[in-house]
Amino acid sequence: MTTELRKVAVLGGNRIPFARSNSAYAAASNQDMLTAALDGLVSRFALEGERLGEVVAGAVLKHSRDFNLTRETVMSTRLDAATPAYDIQQACGTGLQAALLVANKIALGQIDCGVAGGVDTTSDAPLAVGDDLRKLLIKLNNARSTGDRLKVLAGVRPGMIVPAIPRNEEPRTGLSMGEHQARTGARWGVTRAEQDELTARSHHNLAAAYERGFQADLVTPFLGLERDQNLRPDSSVEKLAKLKPVFGGPQGTMTAGNSTPLSDGAAAVLLASEEWAQERGLPVLAHLVTGETAAVDYVGGDEGLLMAPAYAVPRMLDRLGLTLQDFDIYEIHEAFASQVLSTLKAWEDAVFCQERLGRSAPLGAIDRSRLNVNGSSLAAGHPFAATGGRIVAAAAKELYERGGGRALISICAAGGQGVVAILESNGSN
Amino acid sequence: MTTRIKELDGAPSVLAGYGRAFASALPLVSSLPLPVSLPGGGSGELPDLELRVPSLKTDLTHLADYAKVCGFTLRDTLPATYLNVRAFPVHIALMTDGDFPFGPVGLVHLRNAIRHVRPVSVREELSLRVWVTGLDPHPKGRTLTLHTEAAAADGEVVWSAESTMLKLGGGSGERVERGADPDVPASVTWTVPGDQGRRYATVSGDRNPIHLYGLTAKPFGFPRAIAHGLWTKARAVAALEARLPDAFTVDVEFRKPVLLPTRVSFGSSTDAQGVTAFAVTDARKGSAHLVGSVTPAKKQRTSRRTTTANGGTTA
Repeated sequence: MTTELRKVAVLGGNRIPFARSNSAYAAASNQDMLTAALDGLVSRFALEGERLGEVVAGAVLKHSRDFNLTRETVMSTRLDAATPAYDIQQACGTGLQAALLVANKIALGQIDCGVAGGVDTTSDAPLAVGDDLRKLLIKLNNARSTGDRLKVLAGVRPGMIVPAIPRNEEPRTGLSMGEHQARTGARWGVTRAEQDELTARSHHNLAAAYERGFQADLVTPFLGLERDQNLRPDSSVEKLAKLKPVFGGPQGTMTAGNSTPLSDGAAAVLLASEEWAQERGLPVLAHLVTGETAAVDYVGGDEGLLMAPAYAVPRMLDRLGLTLQDFDIYEIHEAFASQVLSTLKAWEDAVFCQERLGRSAPLGAIDRSRLNVNGSSLAAGHPFAATGGRIVAAAAKELYERGGGRALISICAAGGQGVVAILESNGSN
Repeated sequence: MTTRIKELDGAPSVLAGYGRAFASALPLVSSLPLPVSLPGGGSGELPDLELRVPSLKTDLTHLADYAKVCGFTLRDTLPATYLNVRAFPVHIALMTDGDFPFGPVGLVHLRNAIRHVRPVSVREELSLRVWVTGLDPHPKGRTLTLHTEAAAADGEVVWSAESTMLKLGGGSGERVERGADPDVPASVTWTVPGDQGRRYATVSGDRNPIHLYGLTAKPFGFPRAIAHGLWTKARAVAALEARLPDAFTVDVEFRKPVLLPTRVSFGSSTDAQGVTAFAVTDARKGSAHLVGSVTPAKKQRTSRRTTTANGGTTA
């Protein structure tokens, strides 16, 4: 049996404003935030009581009780409770990978519509008990008699009571993501000035997007926030230059300004077949054409932790016969300004492109004025799994408003992974 | 007779009024010759008094605590039952007013009906109006109804509630049989812990001793602490929250107290008219603690239900 692939339409998205850690959403759980993002999408597209093909979302920092987070969330929304859902987790790539999964099922005709999303809270983070205490508690639970229980309890040591706090740290290297990127940035000679410049532009572009009403149908207010809390419209290279380095030692170039802050938030994006969109009279903002995922060996090899998109993008371009310059806009997730700049420098570098990518010529430079035209994570904040949904919806809308075009989306993720994708739009025709 | 209107500034203190209320309710204390005037010294008539809170804002931390205790998702709009706890101190202020014929302690909550006109954003500034009507005859005593209206900045009433309370003693009128236990299949079981009353007391301000500990509940005739009726209602509405329309009424009748700790069952069913009947029942015996219904606003009958003296007994 052969199946003809169908085009996958991006119809829109919804997210809640992103909040800084332990601030506006300190009391909100992942489920609360994902419910808000989904319910906002439901009311925007009049999906009340509708059974969707599926909802796929995830969170990077997740309580063990939230094992079925997305399905539980669906049951708190106004969607038909018969809408299936599942969780995925691929660090910061979660949201975009969720969109690719839903898109693939739509393309194959297995479902007609679906929602992809993600959520993260660094405020309501899951604390785990240490391994020693955990094992002891399991023993205690299995003990049959009071005597056995007392024996187990006698083994409790004060040191065991310290909880294991989740850290933004690679399990295999013990280094924080920022420290990893500081090394990569140094290798590519990324300067403080260019990082601060990229950061200021991200803030200005996002502020401008809010000002011109671009975000009006992408963001739904939540718990007192109407805009991303991290956004500083008056950010400037001069102000950013005053910040002290936080990664890479005293001579480091990465600051709290040109690195994304820990943040809380959720995002969701609505994908469907063309027929499904047509039946409901919903305009197709863009098509999700394809995606690619790459991983690099940042432990045994000598590649940077966040460099996988540099590999994923050329593989995807080759599949479609496109060049890096064939895009109207570029959405490169700003985990750190340094990450974006390292990636761009790698694509411009003949040695890297030859030795690492096996190409006779470098991919070349991009027109920087097309990069993150409505701001990105440095300004908006970056609730890990929510970022993919934010970018897909905003990029699709931007293409649509331009009357068509092609967008490249690139997101780096912990574990040395990268998820990238292409959107194409015909505009309103 | 003209209505006396009293404006309260900010959130009135619950403890001030409630402390006096309990003092007057305890058999020993009320018989002591105290120099302060205790509630219950009124003329026997309900006062024609209206209390107003001109500015009511939502504290998100409080809202989050309330949502957690009751099982609601923390949303950008208020849970349908949330304003019950914001109105509570105003109710207490009204019932501990010197003109009130008796204090709030010992009143039995029979019914709570909420009219949810539209979703209310957590950022909206509201105003509250609270007044009381009654006393109406009841086989076991007399009933009064506390009315609460919450209005938006433009004066539009966005939420209102009626709570019917029974003052035991001096009953009159025919004994009315309670409606049959609802024909709603129980689908969910909730384990209600022993500290549920204390947890809800923290978020509602209702620290009535009958809800706190067995020891504090006993003097009032309960073998153990009992759950707040409005918590039980809130928990039930939270269980239905994904299916609630924007505009609806949710009306509940409180039947048997929920003695803590316990396991209760919850079930609901929606009829062809879109009316959802629900019940919280004893998990073992099946007898009802609470029965209620959600009626979408569009499908509501034009004549508004009147508060019946027998406290919402529906045939």
